[in-house]
Amino acid sequence: MIDQQARIRMTYAKIGNLRFIGHLDLQRLFERALRRTNLPLKYTQGFSPHLRVNLASALPLGFIGEAEQMDFWLEEPIPLSEIAERLRVSLPKELVLKDLQSIDNQKPSLQAALLSSAYEIVLPSDTNQTEIQTRISDLEAQPALPFQRRKKTVDLKDLIISWQLSERAGELILKIEMKSTPLENGRPDEFLSLLNIDPADCVIVRTKLTFLEE
Amino acid sequence: MQNLKSIDLEKILYHVEKPGRYVGGEHNQVLKDWDSVRSHVCLVFPDIYDIGQPNLGLAILYDILNKQPDILAERAFAPWHDLETEMRQKHLPLFSLESKRPLAAFDIIGISLPYESLYTNALNILDLSGIPLLSSQRNSEHPLIIAGGQACFNPEPMADFFDAFVIGEGEEVTPRVVRLYDLLKSSGKDRSEILIALSQVPGVYVPSLYEVAYAQNGTISDVMPKFSAVPSFVTKQIVPCLPPHPTKLIVPNVETVHDRLSIEIMRGCTRGCRFCHAGIVNRPVRERPIDEILQIIEDGLTATGYEEIGLLSLSSSDHTQILELTKAVYERFHDRKVFVSLPSLRIASFSVELMDELRELRPGGGFTLAPEAASPRMQTIINKPLDNAVFEETVRTIFEHGWLSLKLYYMIGLPGETMEDVQAILDAGKRVLAIGRQLRGNRVKIHLSVGNFIPKPHTPFQWYPLNSTEELQTKLDLLKEGTRRTGIKLSYNIPDSTLLEAWLSRGDRRLGQVILRAWQLGAKFDAWGENDNMPLWRQAFEDVGLNPDFYAFRERPLDEILPWDHLHTGVTKAFLRRDLEWSKQGRTRGDCREQCYACGILDAFGKVRPVSPLVYWGCP
Repeated sequence: MIDQQARIRMTYAKIGNLRFIGHLDLQRLFERALRRTNLPLKYTQGFSPHLRVNLASALPLGFIGEAEQMDFWLEEPIPLSEIAERLRVSLPKELVLKDLQSIDNQKPSLQAALLSSAYEIVLPSDTNQTEIQTRISDLEAQPALPFQRRKKTVDLKDLIISWQLSERAGELILKIEMKSTPLENGRPDEFLSLLNIDPADCVIVRTKLTFLEE
Repeated sequence: MQNLKSIDLEKILYHVEKPGRYVGGEHNQVLKDWDSVRSHVCLVFPDIYDIGQPNLGLAILYDILNKQPDILAERAFAPWHDLETEMRQKHLPLFSLESKRPLAAFDIIGISLPYESLYTNALNILDLSGIPLLSSQRNSEHPLIIAGGQACFNPEPMADFFDAFVIGEGEEVTPRVVRLYDLLKSSGKDRSEILIALSQVPGVYVPSLYEVAYAQNGTISDVMPKFSAVPSFVTKQIVPCLPPHPTKLIVPNVETVHDRLSIEIMRGCTRGCRFCHAGIVNRPVRERPIDEILQIIEDGLTATGYEEIGLLSLSSSDHTQILELTKAVYERFHDRKVFVSLPSLRIASFSVELMDELRELRPGGGFTLAPEAASPRMQTIINKPLDNAVFEETVRTIFEHGWLSLKLYYMIGLPGETMEDVQAILDAGKRVLAIGRQLRGNRVKIHLSVGNFIPKPHTPFQWYPLNSTEELQTKLDLLKEGTRRTGIKLSYNIPDSTLLEAWLSRGDRRLGQVILRAWQLGAKFDAWGENDNMPLWRQAFEDVGLNPDFYAFRERPLDEILPWDHLHTGVTKAFLRRDLEWSKQGRTRGDCREQCYACGILDAFGKVRPVSPLVYWGCP
């Protein structure tokens, strides 16, 4: 029975106004968009059936996502081209379908396999390159970067995998890759706060999700 | 005019709670090219998005206006405190969700006023838009500010702030007003000429064109049009046949109340409960045929992806085809994984049968009944008679059919109510609990929800005073004491919270100063119990020099000129007086589908009644 189900992995971009839609709202938005496709969707069992959807990782409010991923299930296999066609009609304009794949049902969930997230941050236009470079180097020299996250303190140093400052078309770009596992999740806006930069003044784009290889 | 520099807005949105409320971009939003149309209308619901967006009236007008090639309609809502603070600090005007344009850039702003506790928010919205609050202070540079909705059957307290009110159903009048305004404006007419012309459109009330005179005792002595071209009274407008229902409803991106596919299956009610404002002002009853409803569900689900449908009316079990409808809804949609809610059911086993037809489509949770009064005497006074055997039979059926929780709506403070009548509510609750426990054991939950009666304009009870705060408190105390440790849950409103609605719903236009003053003192979001604005309102009355008790606690003589007498619902004042008399005599009035009681509706609207037997009107 379970083998009949088709597991579909969708890669999508979350842009524009939809950046301001939170994770739970996005989940409901996907459920309704999927229902509009009229595809034979897989529902959970029970008195209050829900669509089976699985989002890889919550994207913080205000961030753009260029390559977000989610899984959903169909009762039976349908050609990917047809799924894509129906999704393009039913998705809001600011959720852009990038890719669809059929995925083996035995593979681990997106959340379980997620390792890290890569971000590109356009820094505020008044940022001085030398100054910011120095500040980052200062932070790097410290043994730990404690950050107060609600009730607990996290060490951002543990969460940052790599970073790189560059210039593109007159804008300062900070590329940063951070851990995104269920236990350790890095947030680039926290790193910006340590640099005394208001994340609201930046454009923050999650460019890539990296998963555990089989 | 430029739209807001998006970067300013985005930076602010980064810091506010639930920013998805403010960005629009939902599925089925209509975004037209600004320059491609002649008229730009901003539809406003003066509460936050979460409350306003699901409003079906707003959705209907949005749909109708955007279907016109020469008109665009966008939406705006009240910002929550956090965004308002930021906007005021940064001098950012309130903007529409679709194009993010400031409201002042629109030709017309149409504000929905379904209830009185939104009045201060309406003022706040004009202020946040940089638009003068008083109609008299606005000129041809400013948008036309109009309102519609159920509270506008007595718009007098808001008369100072609005250029015009649409009285009654807006489906046909609204596009007419938009086009006429465009025509007048483009032909260079000045503001006063425009207002006089608008006042001649049936259903449009321009308050500034009427002079109100007061007697020594503070009551109204006369209401006179200022010009001969202005009609001496305005009769509400109706649509003879319910127009096509919107199906491409906007699907909110953030969670809202009533987040579902709402479908109006019937308008109006023939039962004649004497306290009920909606029952009078929405006459005559017009039904949507079952086939049309099924098609709306089909199209609506396809267009929205909603997982829940709400079949709305004032009294769902009175739809002549309701049983067939529930059967057909189950047949056609049971494999679509949808829930169907059917609120406003009458107290009869038949209602349980209807819910049974929906089987697994009905949402979880309890069953709700609204007896409103518990003693036979009170039931007669309010004209909502309920045979006790029928009540208990219905309750038994509800428990036998699987429900474990039952919510009962009652009112206290009704005319002529005694403590015995209040005790009867308690007794009813206990009886229902006993029946439930006998059938289903201790898992049964009974919830008594008790509201305070507020006399409403245009109803047979419009002359009655509001119960005093002390009386209401004594009655509530009895209920609180009586439900303690019984397993019955009691919910109620504190007596003070009913005062605002009581003052404003039967107020005259002098209250405009009080509303303005209350807003200046900081009153807004009056519908939200959490910020108790009562001290501000009392202060406002004092500052303006008006006595609030005059509006709430005074019994009006039957020959008094009431502030809303020049606004006609089609139901005559003579009928209301007669019905009040019947109430005092202990006479009930039957369902008016069985027999016409000459309320006046057929005299007012009989000539537009469709001749087709396919269009159902409740009147015989």
